[in-house]
Amino acid sequence: MSSVIRSVKNVTKGYSSVQVKVRNATSNDPWGPTGADMADIARITYNSTFPADLPNSSTDFYEVMDMLDKRLNDKGKNWRHVLKSLKVLDYCLHEGSELVVTWARKNIYIIKTLREFYYVDESGKDVGAAIRQSAKELTSLILDEERLRAERTNRGSWKSRVTGLEEF
Amino acid sequence: SSSRNVDLSKTEAQLSEHIRKATSIDETAPKRKHVRASIVYTWDHKGSASFWNGIKVQPIQADEIQTFKALITVHKVLQEGHPIALVEGQGQLSWLESIDRSVGGGEGSRGYAPLIKEYVRYLIAKLSFHRAHPEFNGTFEYEEYISLKSINDPNEGYETISELMTLQDQIDAFQKLIFAHFRNGSNNECRMAALTPLVTESYGIYKFITSMLRAMHRTLGDDEALSPLRGRYDAQHYRLVRFYYECSTLRYLTSLITIPKLPQDPPNLLADDENAPALPARPRHDEPVTKPR
Repeated sequence: MSSVIRSVKNVTKGYSSVQVKVRNATSNDPWGPTGADMADIARITYNSTFPADLPNSSTDFYEVMDMLDKRLNDKGKNWRHVLKSLKVLDYCLHEGSELVVTWARKNIYIIKTLREFYYVDESGKDVGAAIRQSAKELTSLILDEERLRAERTNRGSWKSRVTGLEEF
Repeated sequence: SSSRNVDLSKTEAQLSEHIRKATSIDETAPKRKHVRASIVYTWDHKGSASFWNGIKVQPIQADEIQTFKALITVHKVLQEGHPIALVEGQGQLSWLESIDRSVGGGEGSRGYAPLIKEYVRYLIAKLSFHRAHPEFNGTFEYEEYISLKSINDPNEGYETISELMTLQDQIDAFQKLIFAHFRNGSNNECRMAALTPLVTESYGIYKFITSMLRAMHRTLGDDEALSPLRGRYDAQHYRLVRFYYECSTLRYLTSLITIPKLPQDPPNLLADDENAPALPARPRHDEPVTKPR
């Protein structure tokens, strides 16, 4: 249901394919983002230069980050947007371009302030806990330059954090 | 540029709507969503003037709950907002004093009057500490260069630690007052909400003091001169253990923040103790690490 509305919105709001990719990966669906989605998005963050033959690529990095930013600041009801964006950001910090690292450092307050995210869903469940935990881990990672460097070179040591997202 | 693409259409009107909702009349915690929006606004605009103007025009003084929630919101913005909020907060002392005068004596109809008075006293003390020590950020996050700076001048280091300890004593007095004002038959969420920034702040101060004292002991090697600070440190350690223990019994708090776990006894400041907070690595850049990131 929600995915139908989303695909209509993707068209009516004129989102680019990059934006659609990020929106789908960070949607309200109770599954995902998949490893393949995250790997795609991480790859797109390298498209930040301006090669003459690829005129659109200069904006790709910013489109990814702006969409993640929007999702990270979403309201409580859309807590899945927030949680999934943290996961995608975590992934991109490891596998994405260096610009993602710079972006995260500069805008760390966006992530830091999610450490107290609080939302109780209709069934009375505190669904903010996973977001608080993720925000805490990401904040300390971003502040620990040495660890982030090590994790960016040593693939796999961090991946357990961004797997196991099949169901919320 | 790697900055956020800040939506400048987010006007002051929207900020004041967030402030209005954060300081609503309901006896609950100020909603995090609205507090967060206020914090993020100060970073995005690198300024807090709109926040201060926004909160001052709210009719918060008409109601104890709203006043108390406004003070919690102010505390959070001072802690987590752009560092400019601490600077611009210096101009808000008379407003804070007017809040103190407005509640008058006694308990107040909902029992918040003493809490408001103590909160104002604390925020004024915090602001004056930051005025004297602009190198500290709002949550006193420890950075080694601060302790190095102070060891170079042991007198200044001694003074700074004493002042931090005074602030810590004030937090302790305030938290005790909050616990003493819990009411049976109430979920006490609004009162507990004030404990959240106090836990963060007391732990930040504790880690700072621990690291600075250890560094001073190592450099000065003068146990005698530092012994008054050690005595005070030990006493504060036991009080903090008690404070955190009491917080750990409150489900509202434990679900929201991690309550620090201190060892039962204070760490030995003269020896390396693995239970003590670790000294972080020296900053690797020339850039001071407490600068806004």
